[in-house]
Amino acid sequence: MADHDRRNHGHRGGRKRRYREDDDYDRRQRRRYEEPLVVKVRRQLLTIAESAARRAEDDALSIAKSVSENYEDEELRDNFIDISLDLILEQPMKIPFIATTVLTANTIKSELVADVLKRTAERLHHNVNAGAWREVKLLLRFLGCLQCIFEGDGVFTILEELFSRAVDLQTASSEDLIGLELVKIILYTIPYVMASPATGFESHALGLLEKTDIIASTPHTLVDLVNPFGPESDKSASIPSVISLLQSQLQAESTRGWELTCLPRPWNNVRDGDEPKRLEDGPKHPFPEVTVPNPVRNGSRAIFPEVYLSVYGDQDIETVPPTSNITSSLLRDALVDTINIMDFNRIATAKFLIDLDCYFTPNIFVKRATPFDKLRDLPGDRPTWKPEDVAVDAVFSQLFQLPSPEHKLVYYHSVLTECCKIAPAAIAPSLGRAIRFLYRSLDSIDLDLSHRFLDWFTHHLSNFGFTWKWSEWVDDLELPLVHPRMAFITGALDKEIRLSFAQRIRGTLPDPYQELISEGKEKDTPDFKYSLDTTPYANEGREIMQLIRRKAADEEILPLITAIEEQATSLGVESPILPSTDAFVTAICFVGSKSLSHVLSCIERNKDRLLAIGPKSPAARRQIITSVMEYWVDQPGIGINIIDKLLNYTIITPLSVIEWALVDKLEAGAILAKTHVFEMISATVGKVTNRLRQIVAARTQSGLYEPQLSVLDETLTREKKDMHSLFQVIEDSVVSVAGGSNDQLMERGDGSGDLPEDEIIRQWGKRWLRVFRRKAAVEEAYITDTMANATPVGTNAPTPPALVEESAPADAFGDGDLDVADADADGAADIL
Amino acid sequence: MSIPERRNTVERLDRPSAYYVGKNKKRRYNEEPEEPKDPMEGLRDATTLYVGNLSFYTTEEQIHELFSKCGEVKRLVMGLDRYNKTPCGFCFVEYYTHQDALDCLKYVGGTKLDERIIRTDLDTGFEEGRQYGRGKSGGQVRDEYREEYDPGRGGYGRAYADDQRRREEEEYGAGR
Repeated sequence: MADHDRRNHGHRGGRKRRYREDDDYDRRQRRRYEEPLVVKVRRQLLTIAESAARRAEDDALSIAKSVSENYEDEELRDNFIDISLDLILEQPMKIPFIATTVLTANTIKSELVADVLKRTAERLHHNVNAGAWREVKLLLRFLGCLQCIFEGDGVFTILEELFSRAVDLQTASSEDLIGLELVKIILYTIPYVMASPATGFESHALGLLEKTDIIASTPHTLVDLVNPFGPESDKSASIPSVISLLQSQLQAESTRGWELTCLPRPWNNVRDGDEPKRLEDGPKHPFPEVTVPNPVRNGSRAIFPEVYLSVYGDQDIETVPPTSNITSSLLRDALVDTINIMDFNRIATAKFLIDLDCYFTPNIFVKRATPFDKLRDLPGDRPTWKPEDVAVDAVFSQLFQLPSPEHKLVYYHSVLTECCKIAPAAIAPSLGRAIRFLYRSLDSIDLDLSHRFLDWFTHHLSNFGFTWKWSEWVDDLELPLVHPRMAFITGALDKEIRLSFAQRIRGTLPDPYQELISEGKEKDTPDFKYSLDTTPYANEGREIMQLIRRKAADEEILPLITAIEEQATSLGVESPILPSTDAFVTAICFVGSKSLSHVLSCIERNKDRLLAIGPKSPAARRQIITSVMEYWVDQPGIGINIIDKLLNYTIITPLSVIEWALVDKLEAGAILAKTHVFEMISATVGKVTNRLRQIVAARTQSGLYEPQLSVLDETLTREKKDMHSLFQVIEDSVVSVAGGSNDQLMERGDGSGDLPEDEIIRQWGKRWLRVFRRKAAVEEAYITDTMANATPVGTNAPTPPALVEESAPADAFGDGDLDVADADADGAADIL
Repeated sequence: MSIPERRNTVERLDRPSAYYVGKNKKRRYNEEPEEPKDPMEGLRDATTLYVGNLSFYTTEEQIHELFSKCGEVKRLVMGLDRYNKTPCGFCFVEYYTHQDALDCLKYVGGTKLDERIIRTDLDTGFEEGRQYGRGKSGGQVRDEYREEYDPGRGGYGRAYADDQRRREEEEYGAGR
């Protein structure tokens, strides 16, 4: 489209531009030239193993020959080494193929390989020091594949060193996670060494495995925190930790002669002409020297225990490798790394996922896009694993990673969208089965994850014409409204409407669903309740609305507010500020109903009056929320959006939002089933925790001295206290629902608390508790960990050298200072 | 030891578009030769995105719903027809952080909103006046000459439609 436009209008620019670009310099002549060798090698290397139609081994040989035979060509050599290392760190599924190229080169020109090893060591050193453990794992995997060219124990030397660091860390603290990460690296390196051409290392591997067992098999204290199913679910036990699973899989594999069926062995298939090439016979090299710091530190990615989740675990035919098979871990690890590394190009990620069978032993999978039902017809000894299920499963494992995945959730949405675009016939049915599994799990899956599911599901449908087989859930429409499945259905329709519009979504639904889309949802402008004379204070309400509409000054509005309050007082209303606030805020909502910008400028114009309401009474503050949510009752998405903006204006406080939902409107716990309420509370809590993280970042920046240190420290202490009280309010009110001791809950129905719905509501309470307790724990841990390296309060600036006196520390502080200066104005202090 | 250089092995989706780079190039070409500029200059801390190929009927709320998946939206400015002041199929979305804007390019640009593939481009920031279409008839330039019928964007391109009408009228006259 864009190109088309440019061609049409830019006839001058379009044609001339061609000659301006260096690349296109004299095109016609260029065509007659042969592609320069360095360009060819780059292309071969970058695309190695990508096509099932080419033998990757042939490309490996061709690259190795080109670079080795032209060893003096520095550009070529540098390109080869840099691209190889970039690929190792960015496209981990290609590591065995890069290793094959290097092993082949070693038989031709071993100096080249010495150069490769030198540069690999540099990168390894850098990443070990930076605590970039994924990169360390990938570089060691590469070296592990090269094991046969090393003198002595090769890669086992550094694995042993990593292990001794892990032991130190584990001994020092039972809560240590870096040590676990090191053990994970060791365990993921071993299979690649054992699949490599190197022989005679079985005892080394076994020896290491015996040592790692105790660390890998002991469940970490935090592992329950990240289980996608709550502790009461029977599914929870079926979720193993990644590291203990891998440990036992490796032990099993060692008894089977290290079959490692899924790993490719391109090194065994390099042929020069008809001659098979023996790669292990090349010259030997000393293993690059890399010192591991003691103690090791962690880099920028927070570490939590990981668990192995599959959305295809409970099918009657295996479409993904079972957890008893090491293939499950090896595929998952390579895919998850690819997904998380490649977030800068989701289309490339999707392509890798679709082409997954190119990078592993091909015959472990059925042909791409084989329908599930066809798997039954396959002979018993044939594999039934579907490559697209394995790929989709890996994406879901990240989407459902607790406490949070590496990237924003929407990245994982976009990967699934792209997969579906590239191979709809293969991917769509796989997604369908995943959706059904997740839907069946709705009553037991972690509440945070069920919202991630809801958000992904609706976003995904919005990219594919909102098509879903709603008919298969029709029976569930009989369930009570508070049932998790009903909550999911109503929540999904609401979210679909938010991305589209009611009429459009109505058109995608079978009849029984129609009544779930109320007439109110189709109204662009909800009714103004003061239009009805039966509404108390109707006249005043209408007049206020007119004044707001014509942007009248506050002085004109004031008499009407007073009028409402006087009337209310005469009627014996306890807090007359509530009806006046209701009229004022409802009028703002109505006048601003046209769009978000409209309501925002309405709020902006009446900001002073709105800001003055809050401090008068907490009840009035909550009345603001009630008025907004009641006006937008049919489109709660818009309501919570406005609430979010009101928080930014500090017209309401985070605490008032929590109390509004979990105290005022708790409805004996029934509100906990509403997806938009969870969304609102999560967003509000997120605002508070984000702010605290910003303060922590300001407090822990380097080059910070007194008196700023103390200022920031006080802010931190105060706001941390506020955050605690916020979590406490959630805890206190939800715990009463979860335990069934909530007064209103006791009074429901026959008062026994034994109605079927009562049990459902208690479950909601438990699931809410788990989410916010985890959130509180994660934030607490974040603050503690980050503050461990903070400059202590009382540190004064060193007497600076005369010249740099002004610049350095003051500049570094600049940003943080600004952020925190308005901390009080931000109203977070109101939480107290 | 210096930090080993790392280059991406596949193209990144969070770079300014050819449109932005081209626009800068043109300016440079017409003026006296100067130092070649980095295309990222002026966008290094950009928090705003230009969003294109929207339907005229897509609302702020829908845009907000999708774009807030990449971070809190600070400001949203709808593109309007210069004369009618009605939405004309583009908008500016401003985030609080540069990273959120980059993530949006990576994760949302090229996906669907209101069932249309939308385009996102890093932008130097909204300025008053930029919310209006720059086409002759008030909308976006691309909607003047578009030869395809696009129900979400007012049918055929306006200039194109006018042109067609004139030609038909002429032919009708000739036939008589």
